[in-house]
Amino acid sequence: MRRLPVYLLLDVSGSMFGDAIGAVENGVQTLHSALMSDPHALETAYLSVITFSDSAQQVVPLTELSQFIPPQLEAKGLTSLGAALKFTAECADREVVKGSSREASDWKPLVYIMTDGAATDNIDEGLAEFKKRKWGVVVACAAGADADPDELKKITEVVVKLNTADSTTLKAFFKWVTASISRSSEKIERGGGEPGKLDMLPDPPQEIEIL
Amino acid sequence: MPKKDIKIAKSQSGKSFEFVLSSDPPSGAMKYVYFSPKRDYVVAFFKDKLDPRAIARLESITGKYRHDIFEQIGGDYWKNLYCWPEEIVEWEGKIGIVVPSYAQNFFFQYDKPRNGKEKQGKWFASAKLLRIISQEERGNFLNYLRISLKLAQAVRRMHAAGLAHSDLSYNNVLIDPHGGNACIIDIDGLVVPGKYPPDVLGTPDFIAPEVLSDNTRETLPSAKTDKHALAVLIYMYLLHRHPLRGGRFFGPDMEAEDEELLLMGKDPLYIEHPKDARNRNMKREYGNDLIKFQPWIDLDKFSAAKIAGPFLAALFEKAFIDGLKNPMLRPAAEEWENALYKTCDRLLPCSNPACTGKWYVFDNSKYPRCPFCGTEYKGLVPKLEFYSCRPGSKTYKPDNHQLMVFNGQSLSRWHVMNNILPNEKITAEDRERQAYFQFHNGTWRLVNERLTSLFEVLPDGSKVQKKAREFIELKEGTKILLSTEAGGRLAIVQLAGK
Repeated sequence: MRRLPVYLLLDVSGSMFGDAIGAVENGVQTLHSALMSDPHALETAYLSVITFSDSAQQVVPLTELSQFIPPQLEAKGLTSLGAALKFTAECADREVVKGSSREASDWKPLVYIMTDGAATDNIDEGLAEFKKRKWGVVVACAAGADADPDELKKITEVVVKLNTADSTTLKAFFKWVTASISRSSEKIERGGGEPGKLDMLPDPPQEIEIL
Repeated sequence: MPKKDIKIAKSQSGKSFEFVLSSDPPSGAMKYVYFSPKRDYVVAFFKDKLDPRAIARLESITGKYRHDIFEQIGGDYWKNLYCWPEEIVEWEGKIGIVVPSYAQNFFFQYDKPRNGKEKQGKWFASAKLLRIISQEERGNFLNYLRISLKLAQAVRRMHAAGLAHSDLSYNNVLIDPHGGNACIIDIDGLVVPGKYPPDVLGTPDFIAPEVLSDNTRETLPSAKTDKHALAVLIYMYLLHRHPLRGGRFFGPDMEAEDEELLLMGKDPLYIEHPKDARNRNMKREYGNDLIKFQPWIDLDKFSAAKIAGPFLAALFEKAFIDGLKNPMLRPAAEEWENALYKTCDRLLPCSNPACTGKWYVFDNSKYPRCPFCGTEYKGLVPKLEFYSCRPGSKTYKPDNHQLMVFNGQSLSRWHVMNNILPNEKITAEDRERQAYFQFHNGTWRLVNERLTSLFEVLPDGSKVQKKAREFIELKEGTKILLSTEAGGRLAIVQLAGK
């Protein structure tokens, strides 16, 4: 079965300490359990969690939904967004199947980036590496007042803003991400074409503003 | 519990429909859905403002077409097969439709993680998903034939009314393999000829090749493309794999989207094509999931012919070989319906209580064996081969229709007569069992109950009438005249098994 890889890039810097990191942890859990009851996602989606603070690390490698165990997250350190972008590109190189005579290629990966602050490293190099790869939809989320939407706009045209990084808002964000993953494997709207494009995104709830 | 915020939507004729306003209603791509206080219907409001043509379309669906289908003899039959919008309503400037709630049997009841959720058809169309569903919800092979039959009937009736569904897929069909039921939902998107073009091109896996491969997007869904989608649905419910996904390799450096476009649109190839094996690379298609799709992707042991039988296998070839690129050659819904009736009559029960299929199609072999669990059939299998006369003729010709005989098997009016089918038009009287089969003291018998002109035709051509409670012993070559009425059939017995 052609797989749909999904990368969640989550900011676990020190500013996320407290309620926010708990809300993100819960968000990933709810996202996973909701997708488990969606037959489309269950058949094709593979999930990976990459966190970034002082550096980036893959806390869950690309895993079939039914095998995925939501990770525990700890908030500390800086916001190395540039490193995270480069690292994600490397993970995809390793994990996403390119077609061959023996294997069918995966769908282009979906990437959801969530950060509550501006990058503390220079993102140019990581961004350049990230842009060299082919992605399905890339959504970047600026959570709260300290995030920098303009910086995220360099990564993708789809940037959403959460006014606060509190648990209610983050919950709404993860719910929306879930709907977006669900929809990616489902319907081709008239005039659309391939999954993962901007018009495939579900309507955002009031907590989320599309920039 | 907080008090429910009940609002009232009004129809043009002034009827009121209560619904419970909620802050986070379930929503699809086009509508928000609110339940009635008793949850016996839903009110679905369109997110976008509807143009006059869209409203005209809804008016004909809730008006003329609904009357044509439901308010005729046999109309009640369709209430279980469609979830049909009943009224157009308005609330605070928003246009909505009132639709009956789905029947209880279309929600999971015996499958803990999913209990209370809708039984979206997708769960049962994929071997990988099917294996995580509880055995109780998974249903048996007979029920998948029943589901397919109901779908074919529902599509046949829609097409007869001049409507096209335009987006038939497992998302828009609820099925109940536990009870053998199916229901078409999301009917507000129906294509009413001349009134409104379809909203969507369809759902991946079901979009007809000519629609998907048309870059100009001018070829739109229609009754012809419904026929493709119906064939795919029936194939997937009976065989739990997609008929066009066989891992065909088109060349290196091809992106997923381009490969999909070739597989499903520009260059589709039936995985069971008898002369072209390029799309039989299941290892490439299913990759890591190979084991999870077993045994359904074993195209030899689980071929359409072996599992679904000769009538359906022939239609699959018609749909996925001849009709794939030539929509005019696709089987009509009615052809599926007939093939499905006849396939049900070819079923044998499996004697293994642990068998997942429970029923299987007789494959003409001398010693039949269940393809699902390998259990050999115990004892003799009498088979009735039906013959009938065309109008105005006295010569009996084969109907290409057989009935397998096992203990408790029934003979119905639609077996006795070649002009009666067990569809929406059948009367209660015609539904009654006419005769039954019984294994008695080592011999097989047909025991008459209601047949008024049942005769055994002896080798010398003479006829012996059998009245109610009298029987005919079934031996190789026994000839039975089931009725002397016009359209009445002759049956000849053949024996298989040991």
